[in-house]
Amino acid sequence: MIGPLVERAAELLPQQGPLQTFVHHNTLHAFEDLPFHDAVVRAGVLLGAEPFPSEQELHGYVEQGRITDADLVAVVVAEVADDGVPVVPGGPTRREFHTSRLRHLLDVPRGPALRWVLAEAGDLGPAWSALVAAAPRVVPTAEPTPRPADRVRAETGVDPDALVHPVLIRLTAAFLDQGVAYWPMPDRDRGLLAAFRALYGRAGGPPDRFLRGLGATLRGQERWDAERTVAWALTELEVPETEWGEAILATLLSLRGWAGMVRQFEVRPDRAPVAAPPARLVDFLAVQLTLDVFALRHVLAEHPGHGPVVEVTARPDVELAYEAFVLAELMAVDPTPDAAAWLALVADCDGLERRRLLHAAYERRHRVGVLDGLAAHQRMSTSDPSSVEFQAVFCIDEREESLRRHLEENTPVAQTFGFAGFFGVAMNYQGVHDVRPRPLCPVVVTPTHDVVERPVAPARGVLRRVRGGWSHHVGVGSRTLARGGLFSLALGAVSLTSLVGRCLFPRQAQRWSHQLDGPHPVTRLDIGYTVAEMAGIVGTVLRTTGILAAPAPIVLLVGHGSSSMNNPHESAHDCGATGGGRGGPNARAFAAMANHPEVRAALGLPDDTWFVGSYHNTCDDSMTYFDEDLVPSRFQADLARAKNSVARACVLAAHERCRRFETAPPDLALDDALAEAETHAVDLGQPRPEYGHATNAVCVVGRRSLTRGLYLDRRAFLVSYDPAADTDDALLTSLLQAVGPVCAGINLEYYFSYVDPARYGCGTKLPHNITGLLGVMDGHASDLRTGLPWQMVEIHEPVRLLLVVEATPARLAAILSANPGLARLVGNGWIQLVAWVPDDDAMFLFQDGTFQPYVPEVAEFPVVSRSVEVYAGERGHLGCAHVLAGVDLPVPVLAAAQDAR
Amino acid sequence: MNALVIAGVGVPLVTFLVLAVALWFGLVWTERVVSGLVVGAAALSALVGLALAVVCIVEGPSAVSLGTWFAGFPLRLRADWLSVPMVVLCGLLGCLIGAFSQRYLHRDPGYRRFYLLLALFVAAVQVVVLAGTLDLLVVGWELAGLASALLIAFFHHRPGPVAGGLRAFITYRISDIGLIGAVIAEHHRAGHGVVGLLLLWAVLGKSAQFPLGGWLPRAMEGPTPSSAICYGAISVSLGPYLLLRNGVDGPAVVAVGVVTALYATLVGRAQTDIKSSLAFASMTQIALVLIEVGLGWNVLALVHLITHAVLRSGQILRSPSLLHDHHHLEQSLGAPVPTTGRHFERLVPARLRTWLYRFALERGYVDAFLVDRLVNPLVRTVNRAAAAEDRWTTTVAANRQAVSR
Repeated sequence: MIGPLVERAAELLPQQGPLQTFVHHNTLHAFEDLPFHDAVVRAGVLLGAEPFPSEQELHGYVEQGRITDADLVAVVVAEVADDGVPVVPGGPTRREFHTSRLRHLLDVPRGPALRWVLAEAGDLGPAWSALVAAAPRVVPTAEPTPRPADRVRAETGVDPDALVHPVLIRLTAAFLDQGVAYWPMPDRDRGLLAAFRALYGRAGGPPDRFLRGLGATLRGQERWDAERTVAWALTELEVPETEWGEAILATLLSLRGWAGMVRQFEVRPDRAPVAAPPARLVDFLAVQLTLDVFALRHVLAEHPGHGPVVEVTARPDVELAYEAFVLAELMAVDPTPDAAAWLALVADCDGLERRRLLHAAYERRHRVGVLDGLAAHQRMSTSDPSSVEFQAVFCIDEREESLRRHLEENTPVAQTFGFAGFFGVAMNYQGVHDVRPRPLCPVVVTPTHDVVERPVAPARGVLRRVRGGWSHHVGVGSRTLARGGLFSLALGAVSLTSLVGRCLFPRQAQRWSHQLDGPHPVTRLDIGYTVAEMAGIVGTVLRTTGILAAPAPIVLLVGHGSSSMNNPHESAHDCGATGGGRGGPNARAFAAMANHPEVRAALGLPDDTWFVGSYHNTCDDSMTYFDEDLVPSRFQADLARAKNSVARACVLAAHERCRRFETAPPDLALDDALAEAETHAVDLGQPRPEYGHATNAVCVVGRRSLTRGLYLDRRAFLVSYDPAADTDDALLTSLLQAVGPVCAGINLEYYFSYVDPARYGCGTKLPHNITGLLGVMDGHASDLRTGLPWQMVEIHEPVRLLLVVEATPARLAAILSANPGLARLVGNGWIQLVAWVPDDDAMFLFQDGTFQPYVPEVAEFPVVSRSVEVYAGERGHLGCAHVLAGVDLPVPVLAAAQDAR
Repeated sequence: MNALVIAGVGVPLVTFLVLAVALWFGLVWTERVVSGLVVGAAALSALVGLALAVVCIVEGPSAVSLGTWFAGFPLRLRADWLSVPMVVLCGLLGCLIGAFSQRYLHRDPGYRRFYLLLALFVAAVQVVVLAGTLDLLVVGWELAGLASALLIAFFHHRPGPVAGGLRAFITYRISDIGLIGAVIAEHHRAGHGVVGLLLLWAVLGKSAQFPLGGWLPRAMEGPTPSSAICYGAISVSLGPYLLLRNGVDGPAVVAVGVVTALYATLVGRAQTDIKSSLAFASMTQIALVLIEVGLGWNVLALVHLITHAVLRSGQILRSPSLLHDHHHLEQSLGAPVPTTGRHFERLVPARLRTWLYRFALERGYVDAFLVDRLVNPLVRTVNRAAAAEDRWTTTVAANRQAVSR
């Protein structure tokens, strides 16, 4: 009985696990069965959150021209039914009304403010009288409150959660703690409920008045299971059995961060950072409801309820009437002939509807810019360069877009590809210094193979261990009594040096501290795959990207990750395709597999090709190359050239990225770019180490030649896919199955954390407090904050992912109908899907269940010779541009493009 | 010499006033200008402190008289072995935290307010430290308390920080009874013992000693840098400084220190979030300093106070990097981080262990006792009195009306 109710409630809890392995996912994953617009509204009501950006913000975009008139008209035409007849004689039609309404931001006074305005205004004339007379009558209704605690709060004005939550947070935090507290919670290996009973069931318990009698009750329930306790508590709270499901949901949602984390430990104990105690959500619920019982009894005894004040008289909706009155004046309409129709029209275009339409217009402008850019660029660009000296396979991550573009821009003989950053190697990986293995693959995959990094020579590392032991000793000891006294006396001078360094010279301080770690030992990977498995992995990647057909002498595999200080959400900047890990080992393992003689033989790879694994740190734009000592001498010169090109591209990419940091000067010198980026990564005072996936908005699945030389502002996931090599759609199907949900998850998490940073996101980072090594709270006892911090999303544009696939609508429709998961995401509008047939210069946007032809709109398309010309001196979002460098263009095309400009 | 002493107080104070006037008149200076002013002022005041140190060594301690504010309130400053190191510490930390916050608070809507409060805090602490009379010290003490309460409530759109700030503010007011009482007692030439006890009362709140320490973990909901300077370092250190300055020692001080040290170290061990853990660690060390003060080991106490302030503020600034550091630590050790608290399990019998753990987890039940047994009854009494007064005035008013008719 209780079990299924808890299971159902659990689906609506935040799905975020411990912060060490942050995996981006759709915040409203549980609502994906609904169309996007319904889901955000429904979830907004349930969770008290915002569905769209505020009307003020959206209206600001109208004023800035970010939303144009054409967008408003187009959106209204698409969304508002109209019979072409004015709603009131001489007034606007429905569509004209909506378009005009969206252009005006009205601050309609409400409640007492409105009463005051009306009293001051005196007689407003016949229009006003007619509107008030016709205004619908409303009866104030109280929100249904399935949860007893909410009812008590409404009746007494005292919040029982203020009593319950602090105790519950303390208990849950202690139960889940991964090693912050010096003393672990006793009896926690028996579960949360048992530990709670063991602690609070003893005599001489806490003296809080509201907990009086708790000990006796807990002792009486010693042998009860959690379900029985829940049923007992719900009965005690006088919740009718039919409402148990809703009461359980509302109760869990009142502290959803912690409830969700308990749930994560229950279903994914393998993702616990150190060790998972036996967590069960129903235990948590039993504790919460037990405390609720005591808190409610106490509050009701202290504040005898007077019952909620229920107003039953229906009154005319004066607020609506006033809004209609103001709009009638604004649009010079006389509503008296049909005041009811005018009121109904005004009511139809309420705040929520306006935000929905404005947001649709906002998305439309972005979509038009990107699709027109892609189409225009495609008309100009030529095919791939004829001679290719090296190829580099990057993750599809949109942050690699700039690195790839700069690489190709400055090294025309380089060719880049995009493939999910685990490169098909789904493994449990344990690095040479790692304490335990961790999966490096998409979260939906459970790896079956182990890869271990082993030192070539037995490592000494004594110094390193001693240093680690010492810093642990100081860290723990300084918080105790006697050792703390000794340490603070003895280490005062040392800590002063460190404090000065960290505050004033962060980069140098980090370098100095890093030097003490010593160099990384020479290692090899111990790869537990058979030759056939390796050939399968390597073959898939090379076929999908098209490398297998024409491999270059050097093929770089570039995994990525991000390392930063002052950032509990560090792992959210890592590679999503490796499940929030760093993709270097995957690239390295892939290269080792591809260089394996038997694998090469199986795939028919030529001898004049060598694969090199590498790692790109997206935070400081540094590169690490693996197993360089294994590279045969005949490839050394090629590799050196490739590394030089990549290093140069890293500088340029860092330079482009730094334009988003307001602290970086707008005329940042190229030579200072890496230093600026590195400072952001190592500074203890820097809440913006990098902007991560912020601004992500587009995903292009298709040949790189279609986007090569196109400035996409680090906003597009780029997935290499060659339709010619995919006759039966098998490659495209598997690509879309992986890319769709992953990119949508990232995109939607940013959307929601931006739109409501307080409920969906975790707010500003500045007061965050790491608890239990698994999450952050605000201050000392708040709910666990899930989602992304404001500093990560502040520059984001909340648009749904625009997924552009190089395929005909027919092929995409077939794939959608065969894949319900994908069809759900696309059909319900969680992503915008576009079929692109470049050969016919045609695009089709998936709307209302079908692919509809897209008509280009923008004539202008900037052409530049270097990326820097696009972004120099700019901080905001930038549109597409054609970058000429490295691509031979027939002169007439160039001239035509410049004319168009 | 005089100029140096005045500059130590004056530079941050003037900076605060300039910023306050600018903000009052709605001047929107850039982030760089606002923070630059405060960091510069704090650095200058640290340099002044260093210069004072040299002068003090050469010429010996000195007192500066700035005339009188009003009759019976002489403005006197004092630079000696005790105040000068504190001037340097406060200026230095103000400068470092100010520089740190330039990046940390960048783009925060409350950026200017933060620096305004930081300037006020530094200025107020310099007044406390250099004050030559208890009366003048009170002025700085109150301003420092105000600045720190407002910094705790920095994120005032959420209820948590405001409640935390209010809690600190009320605690400060309660301990003010002791401080103001001491001033009055001194003016009435009460015995040193009485003044000492009253000052100790003042210290209980300011330095978060037992049983008035409940505000300290709650204070951690402000921005991390202000937590570092106020509650890791300087604000809580003002208590021991007050006792050192006024030569208060003896068994009462030792007793407060011992009780708090045991309480805080016990409670701190069960805290599962890093900032509370550090807050109780601070409380523990300040309690140790009080023991040293009580025993008359003044130099040791001063050194301990300063080194602890530097160590702890560094730790608080680093606390958001805990996950990073934990991972790094595991890698350095090449093994899981060793579990702690094993001797607790070995030495203490299971029954007592559960009791002790619950005691620690519930923060020694202090809040429950204070709120349920002291504050709530007090509030109820006051409410009842207010209601009675209401009834009484209504009755009187009704009678008056009846009479006038």
